[in-house]
Amino acid sequence: MRKAIYITLIIALLIAACQPTSPSAQPGKKTIVVTYSIIGALVKDMVGDQANVVVLIPNGQDPHEWEPSAKDIETLMKADLVVQNGLGLEGGLQKTLTQAAAAGVRTFVASDYITVRKVGQGEGIPNAGSDQNVGASDPHLWTDPLSMKQVVAALADQIKVDLGFDVSMRTQDLESQLDSLNSEITTQVATLPEANRKLVTGHESLGYFADRYGFTLVGAIIPSLTSQAEVTAADMAALKTLIQENQVKAIFFEVGTPKSISDAIGRETGVKVVELATHILPSDGSYFTFMRDLAQTIVENLR
Amino acid sequence: MDTFITPFSSNSFMLNALLAGVLVSIACGIIGTYIVLRGLAFIGDALAHGVLPGIAMALLLGFPGMLGAAVGALVMIGGISLITRRTRLSSDTAIGLLFVGMLALGVVIVSRSSSFSGDLVRVLFGEILGINPGALMIQLAATVIILVTVIICARPFLMLCFSPEQAQVAGFNATLYHNIMLALIALTVITSFQTVGTLLVFGMLLAPAGAGALVARRVQTMMIWAAGFGSLSVYVGLLISYYFDLAAGASIVLVATLIFFMVFFLRSRPKSTFGSPQIG
Repeated sequence: MRKAIYITLIIALLIAACQPTSPSAQPGKKTIVVTYSIIGALVKDMVGDQANVVVLIPNGQDPHEWEPSAKDIETLMKADLVVQNGLGLEGGLQKTLTQAAAAGVRTFVASDYITVRKVGQGEGIPNAGSDQNVGASDPHLWTDPLSMKQVVAALADQIKVDLGFDVSMRTQDLESQLDSLNSEITTQVATLPEANRKLVTGHESLGYFADRYGFTLVGAIIPSLTSQAEVTAADMAALKTLIQENQVKAIFFEVGTPKSISDAIGRETGVKVVELATHILPSDGSYFTFMRDLAQTIVENLR
Repeated sequence: MDTFITPFSSNSFMLNALLAGVLVSIACGIIGTYIVLRGLAFIGDALAHGVLPGIAMALLLGFPGMLGAAVGALVMIGGISLITRRTRLSSDTAIGLLFVGMLALGVVIVSRSSSFSGDLVRVLFGEILGINPGALMIQLAATVIILVTVIICARPFLMLCFSPEQAQVAGFNATLYHNIMLALIALTVITSFQTVGTLLVFGMLLAPAGAGALVARRVQTMMIWAAGFGSLSVYVGLLISYYFDLAAGASIVLVATLIFFMVFFLRSRPKSTFGSPQIG
């Protein structure tokens, strides 16, 4: 008898623990599901309270790695519009996104509306193998405000067609904000001596930022467009030489970068190791704060 | 000659990795020999994976991962002995059950927490290239503890290997020494998760000790061979990672496995079964 009570109790606790934690959609409104939090921040700014915006990958999770639960797949399948980054950023979600598109869920792929950056010759670590293919498409498009401006404009059109409401007023406002963010960062970067504009990051996440504001990509701790690859001794030795030859001022590590490996390279080269939020929204949830923090951390530590 | 020394003399991360690897090899050589002789491979494997939820919880709550791993190992060993004592089920069933259960729990915790992603792979495969001096000291301490305990318990451990009944007759508490041995296996697995990782440590426990058991006849000699094979694997594995741009931890275990098969083909004799009474 007592055992039965225990079992009932355990089951009750399990049910309580399994209560859905994702934000539930309000009835009556259309639902836009955005895969990734940083793009999600801009979509929220665009639509205001005209639609529910649900971000699938929790802020702070590595989007390259994250995999959906059954609940997440349901959310995605029931969406009125799915906004994704594209170019393989949502590695673990790719199968579900393909499934959703096949089932007729309307999708918007941000990378379709920008000039996609390709990995260039001599970027990152030489001979790092297939992870570092010259010509591979770089998915980290949100680190350039002007690319995001193109995305926002295209998305406004699709919202009008697919969901039938007009967000052009808010979008125009957002576009001019993105323009002023761009000039703000340009002015800030101008204070940094050109010889110091050299980036070493956890993985190759700052390509668009570097192109826009005239930085050189010296190398990455994990020389890959995703954060998933394994570290090899050859890569570490090559990165060490690159950092010393280029007299790089700081090593930036990010979500998914092995901290101990970053520290080891820091010890080896005597260069400071700084955390940089390239994939995480700040606590106020704003894209603009995110970009300002990003630029400021980079400029301050390379000075 | 430079080819074989320069990578270590000019890069401190290579030297640290080599030192840590040799310390792991000594610990694994000693403990691995007992695992091979007593047929404890399955529980070793189970421990290596079972500590995962402990590590995940600890990292999540901000405790040192090693503490979580220790709790995970305790739960694992406690659960196994509880099931085997209270039911007629064999220890294989208990080990297997807890092994998958704990592994699944670990994956669930990792996949639903927002603060650490990518760490799962690193816990499994280790970060031998990112060893810091502190971790090196911890590994040194663990290796010394294992060495000293094994020297103190040499006789009862030997009897456990070859005739547990005789251990009881000789006045040793077989259960006690069995548990001490399990604790040492757990200690090896727990400390190694920051060097070669919990998945690969298992290769380091079995491959060099297996090769050592094929070469030597006495337990001490087996251990020395095993530690030697392990250290050689670490050295060659790191060189391969350096020159051929391959993942370090996996290269090391691959070399260890290759060494085992080389020894196996050179030394294979028909009479090399362990656990049977005619050997000793």
